[in-house]
Amino acid sequence: MKKTIRVDYLSRVEGEGGVTIEIRDGAVSKLNMKVFEAPRFFEAFLRGRPYPDIIDFTARICGICPVAYQMSSVHAIERIFGVGIERPIRDLRRLLYCGEWIQSHALHVYFLQGPDFYDVESAWADKRYLPVAMRGLNLKKIGNQIITIIGGRAIHPISVRVGGFYRTPGRRDLTSLLPDLERAYVESLKGIKWASSLPFNGETLPDIEYVSLRHPEEYPMNEGRVVSNRGLDMEMDGFSECLQEYQVGYSTALHSGIKRDSSISPYIVGPISRLNLNHEKLPAEIRGVIKESGIMLPIKNTEMGIIARSVEIAYALYEAIRIIKDYEMPDRAFTDFEPKGGVATWITEAPRGMLIHTYELDDRGYVKGCNIIPPTSQNLGHIEKDLLNFIENNIGKPSYLLKKGSERIIRSYDPCISCSVHLLM
Amino acid sequence: MKRPRIGIFKFTSCDGCQLSILNLEEEILDLIEVFDIAYFREASDRPLKAPFFIALVEGSITTDRQRREIVEVREMARYLITIGACATSGGIQALRNWASLTAYKNYIYPSPDAISALATSTPVSEHVYVDYELWGCPINREALLETLVSFLIGKRPTIPGYSLCMECKHRSIPCILVSTAEPCLGPITRAGCGAICISFGRPCYGCFGPKEDANIESLLRHFEALGLNQKDCLLLLDKMNSYAYRKAHIEQGRR
Repeated sequence: MKKTIRVDYLSRVEGEGGVTIEIRDGAVSKLNMKVFEAPRFFEAFLRGRPYPDIIDFTARICGICPVAYQMSSVHAIERIFGVGIERPIRDLRRLLYCGEWIQSHALHVYFLQGPDFYDVESAWADKRYLPVAMRGLNLKKIGNQIITIIGGRAIHPISVRVGGFYRTPGRRDLTSLLPDLERAYVESLKGIKWASSLPFNGETLPDIEYVSLRHPEEYPMNEGRVVSNRGLDMEMDGFSECLQEYQVGYSTALHSGIKRDSSISPYIVGPISRLNLNHEKLPAEIRGVIKESGIMLPIKNTEMGIIARSVEIAYALYEAIRIIKDYEMPDRAFTDFEPKGGVATWITEAPRGMLIHTYELDDRGYVKGCNIIPPTSQNLGHIEKDLLNFIENNIGKPSYLLKKGSERIIRSYDPCISCSVHLLM
Repeated sequence: MKRPRIGIFKFTSCDGCQLSILNLEEEILDLIEVFDIAYFREASDRPLKAPFFIALVEGSITTDRQRREIVEVREMARYLITIGACATSGGIQALRNWASLTAYKNYIYPSPDAISALATSTPVSEHVYVDYELWGCPINREALLETLVSFLIGKRPTIPGYSLCMECKHRSIPCILVSTAEPCLGPITRAGCGAICISFGRPCYGCFGPKEDANIESLLRHFEALGLNQKDCLLLLDKMNSYAYRKAHIEQGRR
């Protein structure tokens, strides 16, 4: 007997993807998470472009997380040129990233994944959900405001450049946000409690490998070493070497895994990984709320990504308040430098996880080659593993429940399919 | 009264212009009062069901499948409005229009033959009739609201077609092209962003595409006089609206 579960076009995710699962005689015979987002060939047309274009161009890979693309690329270029940035610039970049984490996570928690737990088709479909949606809107708005002040606009901001920023905001531009940020922070703590009280599917994966950056002093964003719960601990450059990207026939996104002996093992990046590997870096108040809410770390159920995201919204707000309170407008918006040739890899923590950029530049700073590995293409292999686990544990259940459950699992990764089209971007 | 139905459709793009709809944080609830957001895959499970009063289309046409789908979208909608640089001018991915698709595929994919894509990325208007085009990478939220409201009440949206330079003048921002001699696309670019880049001290890089009757040749000659070589001048045009600038440049030569 054969049963096929098909989702042709996933809803409430960014980009275009679907899934096909075939069950034959009580066992899964085929499971494909497919991405049919059309390729955009970013890495190809970046070749021959001058280095400032990299920052503006790669932002266009994703309208939800353009800051992440700007952060990974600007740091990679600075590494090649040997440019150091000053403390206030470093802080401002972190603040800009906080803005993006807040808006991107709020979008996913309250508009994309949240409706799953209330069985509503969208965030505005049902009055019951409205108070939840309103909290999401307010959080998203404050995230966008941070990006707009530093970056000029919320989507595809324009201020990031090699050595710093084109212009830095005045102290008062930022402090005017403080009252709203404080209120949003209080709301975000309620958000953690709300998220941890949602009805989860109860599936846990026994052997997840979580991978994220780790920094000795802070929750990771722009800097750190690559670590995992299975002993990985290396410099950024090393990680891209132990990665294997591979193409599957049913998808325009390349998958990737960690090379181990003769096999390629799937791993997971993103909020769950970051939280599991870095929770001790969170401020005591947020750790307290995690404990009160009964959240067990490490998180092993990927549907609970919504909890990790909610925790990170609170953290990003906390961090934004801290940075703004300490902020003094720097004398210079950027440091001077001379372009030079070379190769470098840089990884930053995009809202969805590690975003890996590698560039080779010539002596004038023009692109000779590049490779971009977005978080979602790193997660694709793991999504399939997660789906397989879910289907095998529930194989006797009716198809519509399996279909719904599968959609929920995929959505809980916050896949950004327009990104994952990595190369197909 | 039944609310007019809006459908939001995505082709090849970054999703940023759709996100602008969700970024109407304060107005989104009002928007839902007057419109029925009947199809919005990125934010809702509601299945596709025609007809629509307005189809908002994001993204350019880059595959065979999309070439068929855009015709279907046109048939379902009373008005079709494109949102953003991709749908309106082919987007950044239209840079492939001046290169070899095979070379691009070979550079990126281990098995290039498995990738199916058209050799070009083209604006929606090259495939079906478009009622209104919103420029920008990304679009401006206020312009989006103005457009939706205008179609609702049956008036022409008041969105200017003049150049970005007007916005600098309105905001009393000193001209970067004159004061620092940096190559700014402002004189040939549509207003719409509020002159964000120039207010941050960097030249315009053309998110909003060519303004009406842009004198591209004259600006390029000015850039050359500033010391840029011809190739670098073209690189300035070849960004998110490459296809539109190049077309406007060629048409200008014909006038």
